[in-house]
Amino acid sequence: MRQLQTEILVIGGGSTGTGVAWDAALRGFQTVLVEKRDLTHGTTGRYHGLVHSGGRYVVKDPRSAEECIQENRILRQTHTHCIEDTGGFFVVTPEDEGDYPDRFERACHDVGIPCSEISIAAALKQEPLLNPRTSRVFQLPDAAADSFLATHATAQAARQAGATLLIYHEVLDLLLQGAEGDRRVVGARVRDMTNGEEVMIHADMVINASGAWAGQIAKFAGVDVKIIPGKGVMIAMNHRIVNTVLNRCKMPADGDIIVPIHTVAVIGTTDEKVTDPERLRIEPWEVALMLEEGEKMVPGISRARVLRAWAGVRPLYQEGFSGESRDVTRALTLLDHRQRDAVSGFLTITGGKWTTFRLMAETTLDKACEQLGIRRPCTTATTPVPGIEQGHYWLGHRLHEVEEEHLQPELICECELVTRAMLEQAVQHNPTVTLDDLRRDVRLGMGPCQGGFCTYRAVCILHTLAQNAESPPPQASSPNERLDSAWEVAYLQSPAHNSKVPGKAPASTTSITSGETSTPIPSFDANLLLRDFLQERWKGLTPILWGQQLKQERLDELIYLSLLNVEHLPGEEATSPLTDFYRYNPQPEQFPVNPPEPTEESSHD
Amino acid sequence: MIDLLVIGAGLTGLTAAIRAAQAGLTVRVISQGVGSQLWGAGTIDLLGYLPDHTPVQMPLVAREQLPPEHPLRQVDAATIDKALASVQDWLAAEGFAYVGADQGANLWLPSAVGAKRPTYIAPSTQAAARLDDPAPLHIVGFDRLRDFYPTLLADNLRRQGHDARAHMLPLDLITQRHDANNVHLAQEFEEPARFDALVGSLRYVIKPGERIAFPAILGLAKHAQLVADLQSAIGAPIAEIPTLPPSVPGFRLHNALSHQLEKAGGRVETNMKPLEFGTEKSKSEKDNITWVATATSARPRRHYAHAYLLATGGFLGGGFNTDHTGRSWETVFNLSLTLPRHRDQWFRPEFLDPAGHALFQGGVQVNHAWQPVDAQGKLVYGNLWAAGNLLAHADAIRSRSHEALAIVTAAAAVEAILVQHQPAISAGSATSSRT
Repeated sequence: MRQLQTEILVIGGGSTGTGVAWDAALRGFQTVLVEKRDLTHGTTGRYHGLVHSGGRYVVKDPRSAEECIQENRILRQTHTHCIEDTGGFFVVTPEDEGDYPDRFERACHDVGIPCSEISIAAALKQEPLLNPRTSRVFQLPDAAADSFLATHATAQAARQAGATLLIYHEVLDLLLQGAEGDRRVVGARVRDMTNGEEVMIHADMVINASGAWAGQIAKFAGVDVKIIPGKGVMIAMNHRIVNTVLNRCKMPADGDIIVPIHTVAVIGTTDEKVTDPERLRIEPWEVALMLEEGEKMVPGISRARVLRAWAGVRPLYQEGFSGESRDVTRALTLLDHRQRDAVSGFLTITGGKWTTFRLMAETTLDKACEQLGIRRPCTTATTPVPGIEQGHYWLGHRLHEVEEEHLQPELICECELVTRAMLEQAVQHNPTVTLDDLRRDVRLGMGPCQGGFCTYRAVCILHTLAQNAESPPPQASSPNERLDSAWEVAYLQSPAHNSKVPGKAPASTTSITSGETSTPIPSFDANLLLRDFLQERWKGLTPILWGQQLKQERLDELIYLSLLNVEHLPGEEATSPLTDFYRYNPQPEQFPVNPPEPTEESSHD
Repeated sequence: MIDLLVIGAGLTGLTAAIRAAQAGLTVRVISQGVGSQLWGAGTIDLLGYLPDHTPVQMPLVAREQLPPEHPLRQVDAATIDKALASVQDWLAAEGFAYVGADQGANLWLPSAVGAKRPTYIAPSTQAAARLDDPAPLHIVGFDRLRDFYPTLLADNLRRQGHDARAHMLPLDLITQRHDANNVHLAQEFEEPARFDALVGSLRYVIKPGERIAFPAILGLAKHAQLVADLQSAIGAPIAEIPTLPPSVPGFRLHNALSHQLEKAGGRVETNMKPLEFGTEKSKSEKDNITWVATATSARPRRHYAHAYLLATGGFLGGGFNTDHTGRSWETVFNLSLTLPRHRDQWFRPEFLDPAGHALFQGGVQVNHAWQPVDAQGKLVYGNLWAAGNLLAHADAIRSRSHEALAIVTAAAAVEAILVQHQPAISAGSATSSRT
């Protein structure tokens, strides 16, 4: 069995875990991070992308609001290119009665969140689709973040500072020492999901940053951590219906945020307690509820084309809490298991928001330093991650680069403007187990056709790439060993930058001939990649298939069934570590035709 | 006033219009766009898989195992043969040979990803890649061509025991365009210089006995001649394999049938989105449709006809629409559809589930004379017929029946129109001049 020795072991490759690894590496700790799937596969990659100003929580949860505005200011400096400076509106619609707006304005002032009321005319000029019956509009510094890119950039910063990030490594158990009452966590036994190999990682301190899965990890240490998994359903509209983040100016509830992110607008979210963070189902009534709520801010939105729906799970935590998940604090929580459970060498960081991931990491490492008896200050707040020289994200950046560089013939995903070079660079420099990993890297298949055209193209390009590689093909060794820090992950979304990177791919003009007699063993199981990604896209489509998107789906059926006949390709029995996850979508035991009775606003909030 | 207004210019609408025009009716086809054949392989699939996933070798025999309400069960084998044979004749007259396997068997052809796909009648160039022929396939692709990749195709064919290899040529050989789709490439390929360049680069790499398979971009109108020339210049059989859409074989098919329709005296008018329609009471107590209005740049234009054939296709063709509440409607005449009422009953958890998704079994229900009926089985309009992929009880994409279902039901519906209404229509068309 392989053995690894490190000072800090981080469990979880979401924004929090990656942030913790970054902070630890910058403080000079030897750091290893393990993630059972791809970076951001969990909640980080399934959120709406809102960089909170704090306004949403300012009345209900001022501590969380304060954390948000502080981090909002910092992230604009450290992760500039991952953030679009959309600004945010808090709007009072005819549905929102009472003195909440006045309390809101006062609370913003108290917490120190810049908040200015603007005229309805000015608001409508900026957002023409905003409900014209809106009575008041407050402007706050909300923004939109690309959580995939931000985490990748943070990961690259961590690697540059010496951290090792092992993705597709699942924790099987924690290594414990000592008797009950004087226990110490000294590492973890993990399994490389790509080849089944087990690795022992010995560490001075283990940090559990596994989000909604934190309870499962803590159980390995015999510690009880009751995470309250709060399922949030989001739906992406096919168009960027608004350019400013829209919030209802009221107590947070379902479907009261619309976030413009890249080419779409996301309506979020619901909040429901669930038992299992993996087995999430999106009910038709949840989708209907979001559209109906969205109507209140943007009349007509429910008749616009919907692209996709998905659900993420908030890792909410509140000691001794037993109410609705909407009511659980959004503030971060650091559990010191030495003090709480007499288990040393083990910390759990949970709660919080994407917006506060850096602060969560700082808080965690401060505690780790204290327990390890080392004084090293946090520097993440003043250390930008690679790529910030690109400036804030803006909507036209890919199109601009494609046009400037004349890259149109290179596009293999026309919806999201992904070039062949972007795909090839991503696959050669990032571990790739499924095409969904590439979706998180370069946004492959995220547009209106939901992979209708690019799935086939990407699979064939990957297959050809692996076949043509003169050196060992990209996936021959453990994917993690092929990470190439010379390639700039922070630029993986830039068509122009990727076209200039001298790729290791063979020049595409060379003539290739694959052998006639011996069947070369594909390094990617292309047929499996194809089936997995079609199913992955299907999972997020079924909740919202009607109207135009249903017509588009029927075209995808024509392509993949009638034209390509993919369900009759050889190797039907092969599965990947994700196959089961993509398939899971059980029928409900009892289908509620109507949503549950709405609760009183005060209790629901 | 014309005899027959056909709504939809897919395979259903075009073939129905040709038949009706050849039978002497005055016909107009109106359509919003073009049919789904521009997305497909350009083959005529009849029945590839039964609902239990069994691959079909003899479609006309296996048809008996389809559910009794399936549209292909409402016609006899002779009618199917005849309908398909006449389409083959029309295409042959346009210079496109469509061929089938022997004795009514399915042809098994390679798909662009290397799966064996079943079809009944295929362009002879596609049939040249048939997988029951042991001659090795030498699959030629072009770098930078987005919609066709020979390597995976050849590897998958080899995994299934077929002799195949891949070969990549520079796309510059056939185009200087900066950004070209399949149809552009097919146009360019008709230029002699491109042809010579391609021949020059292939002559020395092929081996004796091989078949050379190209992506289906070998010309549009001049396709047959180009393939014959290429064959003699290279000295090997030439085959085509369909690419991702847009489909060049689909364009050829569409253009050929449109031309046949013109020769028969009919015409297609596109960019005509149906807006509304008028009705009147008829002698048979059922309402008759009196006109259908379509959008034009100036004002809605009314089309008056004695008979109307709805051939708008299903979800893909735009014949149906749905919303988030689970409501569904037929888009021209608001006919009732047999779709499940609740959205959670529409789909199965797995995209590739062989049983297919319940929603796509739904559609317009017709009586024995191919006239739409309501949920109670009652005739809706006295002079409205329906055919093609909008018909209920068939998921033709899942069963690989898409094109034959269109052609066969169109033929049957036109038969029914002629049987019931020919005398009246002919009399009417002689006295009316309104168009």
